[in-house]
Amino acid sequence: MAKLLGSLLVIFSLGQEFVNAQVNSDDSIVGRVLVSAQVIQSIELVTVNSMTFGNAQPGQKELYVNPINDANAGFMIAIGTPGVEFRLDYLNARRLTNVDGEGFLTFTYEISGNDLEDQDSSELLNNDNRSIRFNNDGRYYLWVGGRVNLENAQPGNYEGDFTIEIDYI
Amino acid sequence: MIFLNKKYSLILFLVFLQIPNSVLVAQEIDFGTYSSTYSVTVQELDGTILDFGLLYNNEGLISIDIEDALVYSIEAVEYMDIIIDISADLNLETAGCVTSSCQIPFTLNAAYANRGQNNIAQAIAMNISSNGASAQFPVKYRGNAPPGPPPTPVYEGYNPNNYTDTAYLYIYGSINVPIVDAGSYSGQISISVIYD
Repeated sequence: MAKLLGSLLVIFSLGQEFVNAQVNSDDSIVGRVLVSAQVIQSIELVTVNSMTFGNAQPGQKELYVNPINDANAGFMIAIGTPGVEFRLDYLNARRLTNVDGEGFLTFTYEISGNDLEDQDSSELLNNDNRSIRFNNDGRYYLWVGGRVNLENAQPGNYEGDFTIEIDYI
Repeated sequence: MIFLNKKYSLILFLVFLQIPNSVLVAQEIDFGTYSSTYSVTVQELDGTILDFGLLYNNEGLISIDIEDALVYSIEAVEYMDIIIDISADLNLETAGCVTSSCQIPFTLNAAYANRGQNNIAQAIAMNISSNGASAQFPVKYRGNAPPGPPPTPVYEGYNPNNYTDTAYLYIYGSINVPIVDAGSYSGQISISVIYD
């Protein structure tokens, strides 16, 4: 009886504390520990289409490309490990320089994203929703738009670049 | 007369040598036979998964040191010895893996501390061979002192579990990430604890 009681004590104390524990017939206690690692592939960012504005009309005060529904929006695909969460960062205000002379414009970017390749159902990515996941195919789709104020702009061609940073969380 | 005395003393000497041998064998008692009357409590103190986290392909050697080890407390009767056996998978693998392109070599490390404190400075590394390790030690460190007397037989009113102490087990290790498929990799470590 004393032996039976002892075995029960072991079972009780381990059953709630040692993961996957069991008591063998020789009274040894066996527990199993999981070892894990997640190997992820490097993230690639592919630019499919650049953003275009076309020509501004005389007297036009602002140019705006809506990333959700404008065909002129830039289109990029981020490729990574399926299902893994990542963080997206970018500077939303960038300077465009006049390649024909002096002057610059400040461009304010807007980005929308979707795990489906469907611009119309994409959502604007704000500072508070930039933790997003690659879909089951390891892809996430981005559309790039924004606005620029032309009120004091000099005539000319303006160029600038856009940097987007993606990291696994 | 003198010759006879010498012969007699020689016979006595041989007998004297043989008797201690048989006595030593007869005195070896396996106290583990009675261990079922004692309880052992093993408890995770610092997580339940040895997680190497997110890694890039071909990242090479990644270690979890003893400072970040999984820690187990082993509460047992202080005057008893316990035996710990550990065995671990040689590789972490993805589900359904059949080729080396989905295997990451894993190297087990383990240590224990039996001075009553969860203190890695007091930990003693266990010898590892082929990702297996075994150690026998007293639940409560007794230094160079000899083992105590045989356990007190259990009788009504005596509870050996009133005389417990806690030893600590540290599980850690490293992986070497080669060029492998992206995905979730896992393996198992089996830990056995028993009274001697």
